[in-house]
Amino acid sequence: MGEVRIGVYICHCGKNIGGVINPSRVAEFASKLPNVVVARDYMYMCSSPGQMLIEEDIKRHNLNRVIVAACSPRMHEPTFQGVLKKAGLNPWLLEMVNIREHVTWVHEDVPDKAEEKAKELVYAAVMRAQHLYEITIHRLPVVKSALVIGGGIAGIRAALDLANAGIKVYLVEKKQSIGGKMAQLDKTFPTLDCSKCILTPLMVDVARHPNITIYAYSEVVDVSGSAGDFKVKVRLKPTYVDWSKCTGCGYCTERCPARAPREFDEGLGTRKAIYFDFPQAVPRRPVIDPKYCLWFTKGICRACEKLCPVGAIDFNQKDRYIELNVGAIIVATGYELYDMTKLREYGYGKYKNVITGLQLERLSDADGPTKGKIVRLSDGKEPETVAIVLCAGSRDEKHVRYCCRFGCAAAIKHIYYVKHSVPEAKVFVLYTDIRAFGKGYEEFYQRLRGMDDVYFIRGRPAEIFEAKDGSLIFDVFDSNTGQLLSIKADLVVLESAVVPPKDWESLRRMLKISCDPGGFALELHPKLRPFETTADGIFLAGAIQGPKDIPDTVAHAAAAAAAAIGFLSKGEVESTPYLAVVNEDLCSGCGLCASVCPFDAIEIKEEGGRRIAKVNVIRCKGCGACAATCPSGAMQQNYFTDTQIVSEVSALAGGAK
Amino acid sequence: MLVSLEAKLINRKYLDSVKELVKPHTPQYCYQCAKCTSACTASKVIPEYKPHLIVALTRMGLIKQLLDSGIIWACTECWKCGEYCPQNVAPVEVIIALKNLAVASGYRPPEDLIAMARNVIELGRISPPIEVLSKEFEIYSRESLNLPPLVRPYAHESMRKTLKDLLGGL
Amino acid sequence: MVKVLLYLGCTIPTKQYAYEISARNVLPRLGVELVEFPEAGCCGFPLKGINKNAWIYMSARILSLASMRNLPILALCNGCDTSLRKIKTLLNEDESLRKYMAKLLANEGIELHTDVEVYHVVDLLHDVVGVNKIKELVKKPLTGIKIASYPGCHLLRPSDIPRPEDSVDPRKFDNLLSALGASVGYYPDKGGCCGATMLPYSAKYALRVVAGKIKNIKEFNFDAVSTSCPYCMEMLDAKQDAARSEVGDESISIPVFYLTQLIGLAIGLSPKELGLSLNLSPVEGVLEKLGVSLSG
Ligand SMILES: Cc1cc2nc3c(=O)[nH]c(=O)nc-3n(C[C@H](O)[C@H](O)[C@H](O)COP(=O)(O)OP(=O)(O)OC[C@H]3O[C@@H](n4cnc5c(N)ncnc54)[C@H](O)[C@@H]3O)c2cc1C
Ligand code: SF4
Ligand code: SF4
Repeated sequence: MGEVRIGVYICHCGKNIGGVINPSRVAEFASKLPNVVVARDYMYMCSSPGQMLIEEDIKRHNLNRVIVAACSPRMHEPTFQGVLKKAGLNPWLLEMVNIREHVTWVHEDVPDKAEEKAKELVYAAVMRAQHLYEITIHRLPVVKSALVIGGGIAGIRAALDLANAGIKVYLVEKKQSIGGKMAQLDKTFPTLDCSKCILTPLMVDVARHPNITIYAYSEVVDVSGSAGDFKVKVRLKPTYVDWSKCTGCGYCTERCPARAPREFDEGLGTRKAIYFDFPQAVPRRPVIDPKYCLWFTKGICRACEKLCPVGAIDFNQKDRYIELNVGAIIVATGYELYDMTKLREYGYGKYKNVITGLQLERLSDADGPTKGKIVRLSDGKEPETVAIVLCAGSRDEKHVRYCCRFGCAAAIKHIYYVKHSVPEAKVFVLYTDIRAFGKGYEEFYQRLRGMDDVYFIRGRPAEIFEAKDGSLIFDVFDSNTGQLLSIKADLVVLESAVVPPKDWESLRRMLKISCDPGGFALELHPKLRPFETTADGIFLAGAIQGPKDIPDTVAHAAAAAAAAIGFLSKGEVESTPYLAVVNEDLCSGCGLCASVCPFDAIEIKEEGGRRIAKVNVIRCKGCGACAATCPSGAMQQNYFTDTQIVSEVSALAGGAK
Repeated sequence: MLVSLEAKLINRKYLDSVKELVKPHTPQYCYQCAKCTSACTASKVIPEYKPHLIVALTRMGLIKQLLDSGIIWACTECWKCGEYCPQNVAPVEVIIALKNLAVASGYRPPEDLIAMARNVIELGRISPPIEVLSKEFEIYSRESLNLPPLVRPYAHESMRKTLKDLLGGL
Repeated sequence: MVKVLLYLGCTIPTKQYAYEISARNVLPRLGVELVEFPEAGCCGFPLKGINKNAWIYMSARILSLASMRNLPILALCNGCDTSLRKIKTLLNEDESLRKYMAKLLANEGIELHTDVEVYHVVDLLHDVVGVNKIKELVKKPLTGIKIASYPGCHLLRPSDIPRPEDSVDPRKFDNLLSALGASVGYYPDKGGCCGATMLPYSAKYALRVVAGKIKNIKEFNFDAVSTSCPYCMEMLDAKQDAARSEVGDESISIPVFYLTQLIGLAIGLSPKELGLSLNLSPVEGVLEKLGVSLSG
């Protein structure tokens, strides 16, 4: 850019700066510094006349660097960058010096020293400005489509919102059907409406929506590219049924002789080897489970094949892979229950009559293993007493530290299930705190605690034992009454702690997003940006960001969808000005930079027989970690190069001229 | 009658010394779920014995009243509370700390315990070998059972001195 | 052949002689070479209420003395086992505590060492000797006798240090009893406490603990109880009569044996070699079933 020509502008900021130091003296000082062509002071640099002044100077004096000594760059850097742009200069040739917050506001009582400091800072800025250069902002068009991973209520809501906004949506669900945990619930608190009745219409909407393609029984196996232009590889697991031919009539499932534990019933009921997750499954397309199918295990049967009216059964199906190109990704993979066998003192898995809350949902559901009757699993008898244990594994340093956020309300709902199925049953609720914080929850709690034969015991059993008749005995100290109680219960329901899905970790690594100590996806900001991630273009919906009940899940999912819509409709993504740039001549390809980059923006590539670091300009967030790490100085960060920083620092170390 | 907490003698010095003694366990983390008391061996036979209450009084600094009551000596050290406490408070560790504090502050532990401690100092074991009776009222001793005689522990003299220092004026 | 230091602790060599006799006679026949360790005194467990450091010091001493002998320790007593393993862990984790203890021990010419293996009878027999080896040696199987294993607190807890048994679902003890041909089974609170440590505070309450335990076991139709801790033995066996009178329940009566005594019977040792006449509970019935008599 040839000869360096600097203009320096000292702002009075009314009395904010001018009332403490003498800006004209600072300008006078600056005018003598190297390559400074013009230096002025003015009452309000940010006012239109102030801006005009700079703009005209740039043109008249052919300036190619501008220094504004005024307030914080947080305040007016964009303003003055605008001035440079208007005058035809690259905005990154601007340098701001904060002589208000850093000088006059903090050193008001020592004006002489304050002025000295202002001069030193201006001097350092001038030395740094010698090395400023033009920075190019890269722009990439955005692919106007989105991938939603996980088809629970969060994924369903997000997919519908995106699709309704005209965006093409691919919904990837790992199970046979979308619906998630909500489909497994019998009723929903606090209103007790039938869960499937409010969920399945939405599932059907998803299936019918022209902008939504569902890939069920599928999983994401690779994610590359970056915000606005992700390439996603999806594995369609073999279902052994050609879904394009299948009409969902279900004849095949009727005659299948093989039985398997039904996942949808949390292992309580059975299903066939060819099955739908549940009758209202979407898509209504069955899958064959080769672990149980007699053809796969024994080489016999093929009954389904004979029954299928359209010849859709295909025992030879293999994995298939598809590639999707999307601009944004919404992660909605939900949660799983913490493995209750780990809470060994309660005997889940050892005693038949200790079950989880989700299993109780299945017992209570008319489509469940007992057609909606709540029974003891050991002998099928109606329970006379049921104990519901809250915080099973939650808020526990040895298990899960955090609160599951819906166990309390679920427990209250579960009282209702028991009393509805066995009205004369006694229910003991063993709680530590009842957290009924949601809208209508406290009222719901009041209603249920008003019922007869419902006992709220403030205490936690420590060890549960099995009596000879299969019922469960335990002691619990009730701090409400101050008594140690011995309880015998026919059924113990554990409101289990909640964790991210088992396979989440590998997906999270593919997506390159961080996690919180509990393993859930980490949001960009816990309060202000709870549905965004540190990765641009990747959003979070529902319980994968942390346990959530349905109202919160839906609100979260809708917010994620809105954010994704906003992102996609901008049409393009911009790189940060503070990009990392590689001097390829110096780079040895050691890869240290790539290992420290928190955004996975650096790749080491083979080029001309050697290894060179390459920066993905969209992924790079300009954090500078790589530049600080690079042993050869090949990696530099725009606007903060070694030369720029060193000249500024050595100017400061040497003092004002 | 309302009694101000101050009047009930919140003892910071006691509290700080218990906190120090039970590290890394943190009584302050206790959220009073009483799982410890549900588990506790002593609670099942002594209604007024409640580890969660011991922790609650401790974290409130109301330790003097706890030491005055002598209840801490009822703990069977079965470690169930420590095993199951969801907050890793391990009441049993708190109780051991309280016992240590009681002794250091001049409270007298149960006589049998003092006798055991004295024997450990003097003989290296909690008791000298005793004669036992069978169901048929025959008397047996180590000698009559042909068991080798017991000897004093290694470097008994110096051990005695160290133990006396540690155990204080029992 | 495995060689271990026979660490007796306090209660066994001063009172619970049957454990010592049976261990001395049975273990060598299972291939365990017992090396005398007479210079080791109390592990300090009973002192921790008075001063925790006295406890740590006493156990640190035993660990160091054992490492001078370069042999693993076999603790017969649950309390000793817990002490040694707990203090070993504490000293390995806490540098300043280690320095302090090293200084105390240096005064008496002992160098602090904690790199010594600690076994209890149950894990030594189960994990080192092995259930199969024991099975092979059985001559008089305990067939038809249903025995409740009673591991005792300090075989199980605290479980944040290595323990001989699983803290919630102890199996090794039962496996050993099964190897002898006995039948075993579940009963509530198998990991429960005998109440021994409560004795100095109140004998009355401690006896109630014992009574509760025996009642529990009887409800599940066991013929006998077996333990491997001198404290549990003292409570369940010696204090059984007192417990019965304390709660006034005649049904509180069950034979109690040391694990080592049962192994001894099964491999054909005589009651005398097992100190069986020292058991105060009604063991005669079980012995009769096995065709041995106390006097014989
Ligand atoms: C016993 C119990 C009772 C409850 N009762 C109520 C109630 O009454 N009212 C209420 O408001 N809330 C209730 N809840 C909470 C409710 O279940 C959640 O709020 C809700 O399910 C969260 O929805 P989600 O879509 O975020 O997650 P999920 O429902 O877990 O859905 C996640 C979906 O993602 C899929 N998935 C996971 N990983 C992948 C992957 N790698 N690739 C593709 N797909 C994947 C899963 O198969 C699933 O379909 C209850 C919870 C429990 C445990
Ligand atoms: S179990 Fe732990 S957290 Fe619960 S009351 Fe006892 S000490 Fe407190
Ligand atoms: S260690 Fe003491 S306080 Fe803890 S459960 Fe056992 S007897 Fe109770």
